[in-house]
Amino acid sequence: MVITADAAVAHAARLARAEVVPGFPITPQTIIIEQITEFINDGEMDAEFIPAESEHSVMSVAVGASAGGVRTFTATSSQGLALMYEMLFAAAPNRLPIVMANANRSVGAASGIWTEHNDSLPVREAGWLQVYVEGGQEALDMTLQAFRIAEDAQVRLPVMVCLDGFILTHTVEAVDVPERAQVDRFIPPFDPVGALQPSDPMTMSPIVPPEFAMEMRYQQDRAMQASRTVIARADEEFAALFGRRYGGLFESYRMEDAEFAMVGLGTWAGEAKEAVDQLRAEGRKAGLIRLRFVRPFPAEELRASLKDMRAVGTFERSASFNGFGPLYTELRSALYDTGVPITDHFGGIGGRDITVTTVREMYEVVERRARGESVRECTWHGLRGEQE
Amino acid sequence: MYEVRFHGRGGQGAVMAAQTFADAAVRAGHHAQAFPYFGAERRGAPVQAFARIDSRKIRLHSQVSEPDLIVVLDASLFELEPVTEGLRKGGRLAVNTPMRPEELEIGEGAEALTAVADATAIALETLKVPIVNTAMLGVMCRVQDLVPIDAITEAVQERFGGKLGALAGTANALSARRAYDVAAVGTARGRQRFARAKEWRPAWNEIPAGTSLPSSSVEGVEIGPGSARTNLTGEWRWSSPFYKKEKCIRCLRCWWSCPDAAIDRLDDDYMRWNFDYCKGCGICADICPVDAIDMIKGVHRWE
Repeated sequence: MVITADAAVAHAARLARAEVVPGFPITPQTIIIEQITEFINDGEMDAEFIPAESEHSVMSVAVGASAGGVRTFTATSSQGLALMYEMLFAAAPNRLPIVMANANRSVGAASGIWTEHNDSLPVREAGWLQVYVEGGQEALDMTLQAFRIAEDAQVRLPVMVCLDGFILTHTVEAVDVPERAQVDRFIPPFDPVGALQPSDPMTMSPIVPPEFAMEMRYQQDRAMQASRTVIARADEEFAALFGRRYGGLFESYRMEDAEFAMVGLGTWAGEAKEAVDQLRAEGRKAGLIRLRFVRPFPAEELRASLKDMRAVGTFERSASFNGFGPLYTELRSALYDTGVPITDHFGGIGGRDITVTTVREMYEVVERRARGESVRECTWHGLRGEQE
Repeated sequence: MYEVRFHGRGGQGAVMAAQTFADAAVRAGHHAQAFPYFGAERRGAPVQAFARIDSRKIRLHSQVSEPDLIVVLDASLFELEPVTEGLRKGGRLAVNTPMRPEELEIGEGAEALTAVADATAIALETLKVPIVNTAMLGVMCRVQDLVPIDAITEAVQERFGGKLGALAGTANALSARRAYDVAAVGTARGRQRFARAKEWRPAWNEIPAGTSLPSSSVEGVEIGPGSARTNLTGEWRWSSPFYKKEKCIRCLRCWWSCPDAAIDRLDDDYMRWNFDYCKGCGICADICPVDAIDMIKGVHRWE
């Protein structure tokens, strides 16, 4: 089927048999919710669509539905995610395996509808797993996997599937939409644990005194850590059934004998792969790690892959306003005792077009650092005016 | 890799054209993608869409800056934006115009083998509305051979039929076929360079702090901070509010309700329309309790 990535995500929600879908429209996510309501209307999806009056209510409904023991899906973007903030922190500790797509879009002012990762990255501490995809097929496949991972008995945490706004959400490409029977073999029926029962009332999310809260937080941390192996297993089993493999926590591209590499999220990786191929053709040993999961952050796995690099660069589509971006900070911490130098690279902010040339400029800096040259530690690529 | 850029105005269906072209390309056995670039999401505003075709899976997501084919759904855009910019050597054009290719002025000293048809007339005839995307899909088949017209009409039938009903699918497929049949092919040239507002692209430290700009600081941007100074969106209008001052009771409802702040409240509480920005939405006429505003078809200005 030649469809947008948004439509692909909607197909995944349908195939996964999501039973409740609360929604509120926001560009560039809207196609997902529209498509789902069409599926429901056409009898192709047996789900309750609940239009809410705000995203805060959307997440509240999702929390309620999931607590009631039904498979729950929703989608949002940007300010929508921001308005959900409070309820995001209710979903994870209650161990509700909600799956939500987030169409990455610049949040707040400078007002824009275009891609930036400053909506989802700032909520990476909300207790949700976060995965970032590169293409339409992966958007569908990862939404399917998200249900598997979220509902795994070892995990039971909500999962956010992030896809670049417009660049991906509105791009049509050929997407293989699997048969439902095939998906049923991959995603077993939802087996709710401790769901609300009218016959056996209980208080959900009560006041938790300090005597309990710490242990509950530690449980969350253990579940997040456990998700690493669950993610890897889901990738394997998905590949066995559908013939498509994404690498789990991250995808390595031409890393076998790489001497320098970049690490980044989302559609940027397409241009980066092209840039790596060009550099390789020139005999320069460039590699790429397309980070997929930011939570859990694959610190150990990245250290194993990157410890022998002469230099590593991070690609950022979101600022931290402390001189570096969030991925740099995370990766620097992961590589702390390896001595591998890291440079930070901003690009595509507010949806600015990223070309292969832009990415090559990033790699040039990393390569120079790999040769031991002194370079700027953080570069804003394409910035007009002199960077200070 | 074969790359296409579509130039149109909001409402002409440039995005659907690009998507349908990609769909048809997949039917013809290629890998393909298509995506829009949205600026102001409004009827009449210039929009761009892109398509790529390749023999292997397409990884790129960047916009198309060096197209093999440029499709122009509205010939008035040649004067508004650098439509032919980046056209690859030997690249082609497809233009919606009643003129012959040789008569066209494509600007910027460009020269390209060009297919033309009066897509607006064809759309009016087959669809009864001036939505030219499917006709232009037919026209472009005269200057590219990766995607045959049969794949186009098949994709049109399915995409438009699925969305708007089988009848609309058939009418749109007919629109594409007819345009393909009547399109003329020849060489179009750009004899002149169009004078355009200078692009204002300040360095980061030349922009005042914040995200808004005082009007004094702007030289001319299409979209973004300060763009209203040069981007006179009133040209998107197709009907215009006629104010019957003698009937006005000065309730100010129109003034409150105008979504574009294109109504000025005068000292005596009567109104004056700013036709540079009025897009003719008709909300003022609709909300007026005493019928003091008439919407008149066409782009008019009254003092």
